[in-house]
Order: sequence, then C-alpha cells, then structure tokens
Amino acid sequence: MMNQLQKNEAHKRKIALRNTVIVIGCALLLMLSFIISMNTGYTKLPPSDTLRTLFGGGTTRENLILFDFRLPRIVVSILVGAGLALSGCIIQGVAKNALADPGLLGINAGAGLMVILYVLFFGAHSFLSVFTLPFLALFGAGVTAGIIYALAFKKGEGVAPLRLILTGVAVQAGLSSLTTVLVVKLADTQFDFVTTWQAGSIWASNWKFVLALLPWLLLLTPYVLSKSRVLDVLNLGDDVAHSLGATVERERRRLLAASVALAASCVAVSGSISFVGLIAPHLARRLVGPRHRILLPTCALTGAVLVSAADTIARVVAQPAGIPTGIMVAIIGAPYFLYLLARSRY
Amino acid sequence: MARRTSFIFWREADTNERMMNLSSIATENLAVSYEDNLVVNSLNMQIPQGKITAIIGPNGCGKSTVLKTVGRILKPKNGMVYLNGDDIRRLTTKEVAQKMAILPQSPQAPAGLTVGELVAYGRFPYQRGLDKLKPEDKKIIAWALEVTKLTELEITAVDNLSGGQRQRVWIAMALAQQTDLILLDEPTTYLDLSYQLEVLELLYRLNREQGRTIVMVLHDLNLAARFADYMVAIRCGDIICHGAPEEIMTTKVLRETFRIDAQIIIEPRTGRPTCISYDLIKDNKPSASLKTDST
Repeated sequence: MMNQLQKNEAHKRKIALRNTVIVIGCALLLMLSFIISMNTGYTKLPPSDTLRTLFGGGTTRENLILFDFRLPRIVVSILVGAGLALSGCIIQGVAKNALADPGLLGINAGAGLMVILYVLFFGAHSFLSVFTLPFLALFGAGVTAGIIYALAFKKGEGVAPLRLILTGVAVQAGLSSLTTVLVVKLADTQFDFVTTWQAGSIWASNWKFVLALLPWLLLLTPYVLSKSRVLDVLNLGDDVAHSLGATVERERRRLLAASVALAASCVAVSGSISFVGLIAPHLARRLVGPRHRILLPTCALTGAVLVSAADTIARVVAQPAGIPTGIMVAIIGAPYFLYLLARSRY
Repeated sequence: MARRTSFIFWREADTNERMMNLSSIATENLAVSYEDNLVVNSLNMQIPQGKITAIIGPNGCGKSTVLKTVGRILKPKNGMVYLNGDDIRRLTTKEVAQKMAILPQSPQAPAGLTVGELVAYGRFPYQRGLDKLKPEDKKIIAWALEVTKLTELEITAVDNLSGGQRQRVWIAMALAQQTDLILLDEPTTYLDLSYQLEVLELLYRLNREQGRTIVMVLHDLNLAARFADYMVAIRCGDIICHGAPEEIMTTKVLRETFRIDAQIIIEPRTGRPTCISYDLIKDNKPSASLKTDST
C-alpha cells in the first residue's frame, strides 16, 4: 500500500515537472519566433543590426522598420494569438465540445458584418477607420453573442451546451449570408479592404493597436485564470457542476462574456483569424491535459506561438505583399486538424 | 399558547416537526414541470436519516426528476425542499454541496483526466479563489480513493477504466465532497451483474460503517429490495407507497406501481423479498392482432 502511494506521488511529481518543462518550452519557442520575426521581412535585418537597433543604436531607417513597422505587428500577433486561444479554450470548456471555437459565438460573423456596414457607409479609407473599426467590431461581436445567448436560453435549464452550439452555427450562417449579400454591393477598393479584413491580416499594425488590445488582455486574462477551477467543474457537465456547488448558469454567462470580449477585441485588431481558437486549445490539451490551471497558460502560449509564427511565415512567403496571417494560420492549422481527426477514436 | 387551544393541531405540528428533524430530506407539496408538462404534482416525501432509500417506479414516472429537484439541479415550480430541516433555497449552493452530493446518470469525464484529478474536484465546495489543495484536502482525497479501492488507479486516465471502476471513481468524488447525504441516479445502469453488486455493496458499506444517508433511483427491484432499508414507489409523480422493502415488494403495490402481476418470495440467501416472476396485467380490451391480414 505504502509502496503504491509512493509510486503515485512520484508519478504526480513527474507529471508536474513535465508540465513545467512544456510551459517553459513554449515560452522559449515564443521568444525564438519573436527574434526570427524581427529579422525577417521585405528588408532583412541581420540579428546583430536588430540587436543594435533595439538598444538604441539604429539608423533612422532601421528604427523606422523595427519600431514602427515590425515590433508593433509582432506584439499584436502575439497578443492576438494568446487572446484568441484563451477565448477558444473557454468556449470549448463551457460548451463541453472540443470542436467549438470563438466563431461559434458569432464573433467573427458579427464583427465582420459591422466592418462591412461601416465600409459601406463611410468608405474604406476614411480618416476615422483606424480608431473606430475596433470598437465597431467589438460592438458587433458583443451584440451577436448576446443574441445567440438569448436564443439558446431556456427558462429553468439555462443555456444547454448543445443548444448554444446549434444556435451559434445558425446565427453565424445567417449573418455570413447577409455579409455576402452586402459584399456584392461594395466598390472595388471597399471590396479589397473587406476581404483583407476577413482573411485576417494583421493590417496596418501600429502601437495604437497594441494599446487598444493590451488593456483587455491585462484585464481579462487574470480573471479567466482565476476561474480555472470553475471551468474544470463545468467540464464535468451541468448536473455534476451543480452537485459540486457551482452556480452553473451565472458562471457560464460570465465566462462566455469574458470569452467574447477577449476574442472580439482580438478580431477587431487583427481581422478574422479563425483557426487559432480551435487549434491552440487542442494542442495545449494534448500537451498538458484537461486541467485549466495549467491548460489556460499553455493555451495562451501555444496560441501566441502559432499566430506569431504564422505571421512571420506569411511575411516571408509571397513578398512583398505577404499573405494575410489568418490564411497562413489556416494553412498550418488545417492539416494538423485533419491529423487530429484521423487519430481520434471517435 | 395557541397550540394548547387545539390539542389535535398541537399533536400534528409536533409529529411533523419530529419527522422533519429525523429526515435528512423532506419535500412539501413539491411540483416540478418541464415547460408546461407537469411531471410531479404535489409530492410529500420524507427520506429517513442514516438509511439507504431506494426510489422505484416505471419509466417516465418522475423519479429522476424528483431526485434532481431535491438535489437543486432542477428548480421546482412549487413547494419546498428541506435539507436537514432547512429550506434548501436559503442555503448557498456551496453550502448545499457540503451537505449533499448528487451523482447524475452516467456522467462523463473529460478526456485525459486521471482518477486522482477527478476525485480532487470533489473538494470544489471547500475551495475558494485560487487556492491549491491543502494537506487536509489531500488526506481526504487519499481516503476517498482508498475506501473505493482506487488507490492503485489514481494515476490512470478515467477513459481507460471499465464501467464499474468508472462508477466507483464518481462515487469517490462524491465522497471527497464529505457529505452526509449522497443521492445517486441509477448508479448501476450499463453495468453487468458483478459490477452492479460491487457498486451497491460499496454504498452499503458507506452507509453501515459511516452512517451516510444514501438515496438512489434504481430500476432493478430485487437489488433495491436487497440493499435498501426504505423504499419509495412512485407512479406519475405521486407516491404510491413507502416503507420497508417488505411493505413495498408486495403483489398489490407492484401492481399499482408497474401494472404488473408479480410473484414475490422471501429470498433465502438475503432474507429480503424478491420478485421471481411477473406478467403484464391483462386488461379486457382486445389487443391489436400481430398477424397481418392477407385477405
């Protein structure tokens, strides 16, 4: 008996150590991606020049490239990756469905519709768009998520996960078709702008975008992390969660709201990058298992690595215009996802 | 003072009060409905403390509904549920979770979760914020694993277990909740004969050795009669009869509850009543012919 207990303890320590190593590994990978990303682009900056510029010894041109073009874009891609991954992780936990992603709550569809409406009325290049678009996208996503929640809500039993998913799919499809109808009416320049947004290009990133995104993440990430045990319990199903003393519907509503806010603020800045919220949680779950205390941080890291790597690759291939990051994420993500499906036992 | 003016009223109030104190759960005029469909109309049920109670009844009779309502998973349309004499609505859900655990029918564990991790979730009602498991929590988890004979499986993933083992894991989680009262919705479904006994014997031991009150919905009448001290027969959301297994396992009660004609004997090995054979009750209506008319 004693022997068995010691064996269990040893095994648990081994797992804890492995998880720590995985998290540190992900963090190192992120740093690597960050460094490579700084060096690549239309104008190549060798590592030595990059380093010199970073510490204030760069020429005007190097400063411009690094601080005004590249760094904000890299930082945005990291933040967006982390935010979308966290959001996806929450939704998969709350919906108890591993195929759920933030798009399910109509975030991409709602934000996309608002972007189109805005472009239709004000044009793609009006002065205001850089500042207003994120808020409009946020607004559109929030309203859509609210509608989906209200439609899926049933008195007495709250929002059953399956009903949430089906309602989400339906509303999303409706909004997408509405968006398509509107796209047809766009002028050429407007059309370009909208399709680029939909493909998820981290467009025109500058420090303002970082500033627009950072507060949301700084506010929401600690909140979500503090809810990791609630997420664990919700994962056991509504009935068990009730039995364990979770206020199921209230927690679900709060977590979904946090998830919407996270994803919407990211989508508003980066355009519609859809695969991260699906893939990153999957990846993280395979790495560290289903407990959210370790899953959530790992998930944020894998998401950040995924998007920043995708963004770097997107910049290298197909120069000078580059491929939108969202498409690059999908190019990387889709095969991985097919691999997952092929391996799964169901 | 008012009590003394009416002797009968006083006695009634007194017995009611005593019943409430002796019962760990009591319902008063409980009504439950799904949407507009009234499943339970006006249920007055008392579950004795420290005993094993089995709720029996035909499919769709509302027994699971009653269990879930008592376990505050479903909200009643009307009426009251008392937990150890307290109005359950006055307690926070975490307070309830420290007094009562309820296991739904065939719960699902997330893929990759180990036995030890799942059982540790049973400590949820005692944790707040970002707390880690305290040494005390760990002791309780180790104890729950030991009682359910799961210590050797602590680091195994729940997905890799057999049905009987899995049911034991969920019971261990409920034990880690350290509640005096455990409700179970058909804990033996999908289990083969030996696993059914294994689970029920575990519950029996928990009751006899630690005095935990067990309430379970059971399909198998003979198992219910064998392990329960007290049985409640329900049909259409109403109690047909309640009492010791000997009072429930009678031709008359089973006829009323299940519409069957049952033959009951006392099983020599357990000394409990057992239904050895039964028939559907033939009513006078001619049944539809199974033969197709070829003319």
